[in-house]
Order: sequence, then C-alpha cells, then structure tokens
Amino acid sequence: MRLFTAIVAAAGMLFSLCGAIPCAAQAAARLPEELAWTIGYDPKTFDPAKVDDQESELVRYLTAGVLLRFNRFTQKVEPELAQSWKLSPDGKTLTFKMRQEEKFSDGSNLSAQDAAWSIRRVLLLGEAAPAAEEFVLPGSVTVDAPDASTVVVHLPRRIVGIGKVFDEIAIEPMNRPSQGHVSSGPFVVADYRRSQYVSLRRNPYYRGVATGAPAYASGIRLDILENSEQEIRLFERGEYDVIDELQPDYFEMLRHRDPTAARDLGPSLNTEQMWFNQSPAAPLPAWEKDWFASRAFRVAVSQAIHRADLVRIAYLGHATPAYSFISPANTGWYNRSLSAPHTDVAAAKAALARAGFRLNGSRLVDSSGHPVKFSILTNAGNAARQKMATLIQQDLGALGMQVTVVALDFPALIERLMHTQDYEACLLGLENVDPDPNAMMNLWLSSSPNHQWNPSEKTPATAWEAEIDRQMHIQAVSAQDSVRKQAVDRMQQIVADQQPFIYLVYPNILVAVSPHLEGIRPAVLAPNLVWNADSLKLAEAR
Amino acid sequence: MKLSFAAKALLAVLVLAATIIVARPNASYAYQDRESPLAAASRLHPAGTDALGRDRLVRVSAALLLCLAGAVAASVLTTAAAAGVGALAAFGPASIGWVSMLICDAFLALPWMFLLMIVRSALPLSVSPASSAAVTFLVLAALGWPACARAVYKGALNLKRSDWMLHAHAAGLRATQIIRTAVPNLFPLLLPQFLISIPAFVIAEANLGAIGLGVGEPLPSWGGMLLELDNSATLFETRWVYFPIALLIVVLLLLEAVAVEA
Repeated sequence: MRLFTAIVAAAGMLFSLCGAIPCAAQAAARLPEELAWTIGYDPKTFDPAKVDDQESELVRYLTAGVLLRFNRFTQKVEPELAQSWKLSPDGKTLTFKMRQEEKFSDGSNLSAQDAAWSIRRVLLLGEAAPAAEEFVLPGSVTVDAPDASTVVVHLPRRIVGIGKVFDEIAIEPMNRPSQGHVSSGPFVVADYRRSQYVSLRRNPYYRGVATGAPAYASGIRLDILENSEQEIRLFERGEYDVIDELQPDYFEMLRHRDPTAARDLGPSLNTEQMWFNQSPAAPLPAWEKDWFASRAFRVAVSQAIHRADLVRIAYLGHATPAYSFISPANTGWYNRSLSAPHTDVAAAKAALARAGFRLNGSRLVDSSGHPVKFSILTNAGNAARQKMATLIQQDLGALGMQVTVVALDFPALIERLMHTQDYEACLLGLENVDPDPNAMMNLWLSSSPNHQWNPSEKTPATAWEAEIDRQMHIQAVSAQDSVRKQAVDRMQQIVADQQPFIYLVYPNILVAVSPHLEGIRPAVLAPNLVWNADSLKLAEAR
Repeated sequence: MKLSFAAKALLAVLVLAATIIVARPNASYAYQDRESPLAAASRLHPAGTDALGRDRLVRVSAALLLCLAGAVAASVLTTAAAAGVGALAAFGPASIGWVSMLICDAFLALPWMFLLMIVRSALPLSVSPASSAAVTFLVLAALGWPACARAVYKGALNLKRSDWMLHAHAAGLRATQIIRTAVPNLFPLLLPQFLISIPAFVIAEANLGAIGLGVGEPLPSWGGMLLELDNSATLFETRWVYFPIALLIVVLLLLEAVAVEA
C-alpha cells in the first residue's frame, strides 16, 4: 500500500509540474471569416473611459473610434474620426475638424457634440479614467463644440505629446455610454462570457481611414486562455490566427515545428535591469550602503556581467544586450553615440581595487574587511529572470562577490521594494508602452516614489540625479523636438555613466502568425500584430 | 525480508555511486558550461546539462545525497522529539499527557504548507544556500513530529497498561527504573516511525522546491530540478529532464520498501 502511495505521490507531482490539465475548449459560436486569438485574462472593464489593464485596452483599441490614432507602425499621430487637427502655437488649444457623415455602429449620427461629451466624460471621471491623468490638470481643461463638425479643447498649459492622449479617448454616443456595444471603431462588443471569451462583431458603419470601408473580418473572437501550451496547440490546429507574446522556449518549439509561423520581430521597447538599493532609509548595514552608493562598485558589477550569455542562455538568443533605458527599437529617441561600460572583467577588478576593495583568498572584501556578499531579488515564476540572476551570480563570483539569488512572489517583492526597502539588489523588467521618454517621468524624477534605487528623495541625493531631474524637466516643457532629443540623449549618457540601473537585455518581440492571415504588418508597439485589425483577413475559411 | 535487503542494497549502491560522482575531481554542481545549455548526454555530461549548462548527473547526485542526509537528520529529530513527548505524555501525570496531545492536535491542524511558506519568506534574504537547506529540513522536522508523537503515545500507553508493567509497579520499581525498562520496548514502534518519515521528508522537500521554497540556488535539490518539467518546451529539447523524477520515484520506492519491512 505504501509503495502504491509513493508511486501515486510522485506521479501526482509529475502531473502537477506538467501544468494544469487544459480546460475544455472555448465555446464561442464562430462566424465565417472571423479572426481569433487569445487574451490572458478577463478584461476588467468594457467601459473605454475606465480602461486600466492590458486586455481591456486591447478591446478598447479594437472597438473604439478615436479622434486621433497613434499609428503603431509609423509611431506618428494620425487623424481618424477627426479629418484634421491643429495645435495653437502656445500649445494650449487643440482644434479638431470632424469627418463628415460618420455614424455609430447602431446607425445613429456621430457629431462633434458626441466627441466633446466623450472627452468631458473622461475628464470628469478623474482618477477613475487613466487617460484623464495625462491632461495633468483635468479639472482645468475645457471642451467646446462650437458647431456640428468642430471640437475645441483648451488646456491650462502645454502638454508634451498631447495628440497621443486622444488615442485613448473613445468617442461614444452622447449620454449613452454602452460598454463597447455601440462604438465608432471597426468592431463592437457582441458577447462576453466570463473566463471563456469576448466576441466582437464588425461595425457595418465604420469607414477605415486607409480602406474607406468596414473591417475585412466579420468579427474577432478573443478566447480567455492562460495556458501557453494549449494556446500553441490550438494555433497549430488553425484555431487561432496569431500569438502575440511567446516565451523564448515556446517560440523555439514552435519554430522547430513550423518555421514560417514563428517570427522574431527584434528588440522590444521593454528593458530588464538590476539595481542596488541606495535608499538611506533601507535597513542595511552602513558598509553595504557605501558599496551601493559607489559608482565604481556599480560600474564594476555592470562590467562583470556577460550580457551576451544572458541573451543566449536565458532568452535562447531572442533578446538584445541592453545598455540604456531606451531600446534601439525606439528609433526616434535611442542615443546612437552612447558610451556605456561593456563587459570587461579585468577592468572591473581594477576599478574595484582602486575603490579600496581587495581579494581575501577568493573572496572580495571592502577596505574595512567586510566580505562583499548580497542577495539579488527577483520575482518567482519568471524563468528568464531567474536564469539571468543565476548567471549573474556566477559572473559576480568571478570578482569574488558572494551573491544569493532569491525569488519571491510578487506581493512580497513589492512590499520590500515599495514599503520596507529591505533588500540589497533587485532584478526586474520594465514594460514600456509609450516610446516617448516623457512617459518615464515617474521613474526618473528623484522625488518620485517609483525612483526605484532611492525613492521619494526630498532633494536630489547626488549632483547627477539633480542633472537627470533638470534634463527631464527640459524635455517635458520644450516645444522643440531637437531640444527634447538632446535632453534625453544627455540623460541616457548620465545613466550609462552612473549605472543606477544596470541594464541587461531588451527582450525581443516573439510572435506567431498563421500563414492564412493576410495584411499583417508587425509593429514594435502593442498591439504588435493586430494594430491594423480592420485590414486583416483570412485567405481561406477556417 | 528479501525485498528489504534488496532495497537497502540498492539504496547503498545509489548513495555510493552518487558520492563517487560528486567527489570526482572537477565535478561541480554549480559550474555553468555556458556553451552547452540543455545539452543531450555526452561523454563530458553523461546525463546532459540543465538550462544553464550545469551537469545534470552531478546535480542529481548531489541532490540525492543532500536530500537523503537532510531527510535522515530531520527524521532523527522528529523521532527523538516524538519519543520524548509521547513517553512523557504516557508515563507522566494525566494532565501533562492531555496537554501534550492537545499541542500535538493543534500542530496537526495547522496549515503546514502555509507555515512553511511564511517561515521560508521570513528568512534573511542573504541566507546561504547551505543554510536554506538546513532550515528547510529543520522546519520539516519541526512540523513532522506531532503525528509520530501521537503514535508513540498510544504505544507507550499500551505499554504502561501492560501486565508486566503492573507487576513492575507492584514489585516496587521506581519511576526511573520503569522508564529505563520501558524505553527499549518502544524501539519497535520508533523504528518504523523513523523509516516512514524519511520518504515523507524527501517528497516534502521536493514539493517545496517545486514551488520555489526549498533549497537555494545554486545548491541542487530535487524540487528545484523538477521545475524543469513545468515547461513542455524543455521536455521537447531533451528527454534527460525526466532523469531527476525517475530517480526520485526509484528512491521513494526503495525507502518505502525498507520501511514496509520494518
């Protein structure tokens, strides 16, 4: 009996490790010419004004008609429901001229009053509408519709990149918010079953800017599915047309089976980085704070890390070594003349020696004789990060540093990062959805609680942090793109010199596309594959 | 009897082989051969490598030794604690017996997995991998004794009420003399408890490691290695990822066979 118990226990463990048994296939009724792919979880809301999560944002993107669309491919703001738009020289007044004879999906007319009402609704929702925050002072913004085809927005002050904000404001019928069931975009929400699917139907009154016609596809089925293995299996069976975020190992598996379907789109805008805790409030020994505050120490750590190995082993080659907070995929803002410390273990050892560190046997000690040992925190469940941390553990071992890798669940990790400050080093990633560096304001300003290496500084702790604040301010208020670019280039160089964040890799965008899908033009920005959903169609019936 | 002997012999062979593999010059469970991640079996790496290029045979061997040593140590602690509490509860005053068993029941009612997670999370972050291994097995031992103590208590109580014990009392033996006589009679009860606990601790450590709460990297643990199975893409790369779980099943079967015969 016990033998049997042992077998059952071990077999049970094997099955539990092999992942959950897939749930029953999703059961949405399928339309001919319907596109299909998966989303990871239920959208939190279908109200386009209250969108605050990735999946709700996708539904809004596919259903919402907007005055201006931020083209994910060209990375330029283009008129959509607006025929044209104009920003006054002082940057405080926007005037939109609407397209004529536009209609909502229920056949009712779309006028400037609807647009003005939709913008006011977002502004009035305040904190409940994330787009309102981008107006900085939403309570001071006024919106008028002087005639049936003109909308005027008055801002209290210039806002950098204001055009992009209107990409997030869905134009809905005045006084009839409908949770996406009546829309002015290419699709409307037709059906939703919790934990099963969201079904979208073509809006027959939509006229695409590029095509002048409704979307090609009759609808879109978004199956709610977390299981990557099942998603890949169903993709291979032709049930899904795209997969937009593949992990490197699954990408390789799929590429092996179907080389034409798997596509590596190159570096994303996202970064993976590690940093040392420099907060004076951190409950760390004084000598550790001294190490982490030392530029020489941080640069030596950066020089000891073999980023090429991180790319090759942790990402199976599907990442790009990183030295800046701006990815080379962000062509408009990447500093091509950046000078950053690259891998050089000998230089790292020499720099540490100059800073007073010395080897005691095989172990590095500081000038007071304290052995250099610390832990690197990362989040449990992210295989690539855990692999990177273990590779870095060995890389830093070559300098004589004793590193412990600790994987914590996310709530415990955030508690340490944001509240107790009880950690030494951390390895995490940052997802950038906006190529404009202004969106990173909350990360770089020394007064920000998200200024991770030393949050909420009352005054900048160092001269270089004060300089970053100054450059961030310049890029935020300047009306000239060249001045903004110069400020951002300077910031990139300061960060590369000081290494408050030690950038490791830019993960590549790994996707899969059905060979039957036509019209695909992958973009760096999300939604990478379906940003032109109205132009996508299946070459043959599923 | 033959089964037990064969199981013991096989276990001994496994432990000996693992010791030889780990003790070989240049054998390192932590060294990352970065040119050969997830490699198939070769002369250099007879059981291939893991995703970081570490020799799987050396890591599995080290995990076997570590896990068995930890499980045996934890089992010794558990059995000793259970013997002490069980004997005290049975031979001591009734009130002590009642309180002891109440504590046992309270321990048994605790959500032990949750407790383990709290204890592991509360450890200092820079605790070394070896210390994390020691703490893991100590925690397992601390949580494993009550069930064993209950069994010992029952056995000791039967012993206390046995005829020969009554005769001993009637003959005027002192309490210390009675305990000295009674303890050897508990060994037939303690040995199976000890042997049963070993595979239980092995599987408990593997479970903890599989959810990331076991022994810290780069020290190898069975649970940590089983994490490789959580990814079908890795299974597709090399079949050698099944090696740790295959050996775990074999070791569990052998440990259970030894325990059954006892």
